[in-house]
Amino acid sequence: MSTKQIDPRGPRFGAAITTVLLATDVYLGLDASTADVAFILLVAITALFAIGAIFGNAKHPYGWLFKNLIRPRLGNPKELEDAAAPQFAQGVGLFVAGAGVLLHIIGVPNAVVIAAGVAFVAAFLNAVFNYCLGCQIFFGLKRLRVIR
Amino acid sequence: MPVETRLLALAALVGVAALAGLWWRATTGRARRIVAGQQVNLAELAAVKNGQPVTNFGSKITFLQFSGEFCAQCPPTARVLGELEAKTPGALHIEVDITNRLDLANRFNILQTPTTLVLDKNGLVKSRISGAPKTTTLESELGTFAI
Repeated sequence: MSTKQIDPRGPRFGAAITTVLLATDVYLGLDASTADVAFILLVAITALFAIGAIFGNAKHPYGWLFKNLIRPRLGNPKELEDAAAPQFAQGVGLFVAGAGVLLHIIGVPNAVVIAAGVAFVAAFLNAVFNYCLGCQIFFGLKRLRVIR
Repeated sequence: MPVETRLLALAALVGVAALAGLWWRATTGRARRIVAGQQVNLAELAAVKNGQPVTNFGSKITFLQFSGEFCAQCPPTARVLGELEAKTPGALHIEVDITNRLDLANRFNILQTPTTLVLDKNGLVKSRISGAPKTTTLESELGTFAI
């Protein structure tokens, strides 16, 4: 287990931006005239999740924004959290958004909207309720022997 | 698709997410009373506290916290329960990492971490708290079992 500690408000700030992007994506994806834009936006969101999943939230562009623009305006956090959990959650986001991209490419209808909708719910719960769905399902997946 | 329909769909999505969040907030960290709870076996648990194997339950109450990997709420929960143990005579806090103990996860049906089992002085499971325990929940558990 990683012992790297981060400010828990950082990932939450990132989740808020992701929430807005995914809501925009669902809206764009619902109309045929903007479906292509929605697909490109989902590709971009997938790439952002990949950065978070591979390099961690602190090295993510949102982490940089948080550190340089938001954190100086806030007080110190009450406590730090382990960096591993939110990084794992980025991986779950990558899986969902990436699945939407791939399914759309092979021609599955509505893949973009459905993937963006599912990821939206997770990001919304993280941003508004501080509920980490990605962390939550980790243990369920492990017990079902889906992972390791 | 008309703009109104799209906005309506988006609003429905936000509504579903908000309801899920409110439901989670209302249920997480609360104690669920267990009738005829399991007997916890300390040898099987193989818990370690301050470098020593745990061989006795708290003389009044034991908080058995199951933690795991990728668990943001586990360290704060351990801190709160540790503080509670320090100020409550007869209370014991045990933390067990079940990342590689699927046997324990199956035995106690742990679906999320942290999950805290409240044990009586004999090690019988009396209640179960899923998620970071609420302060009021911990107070009422102490009032029920540690008086």
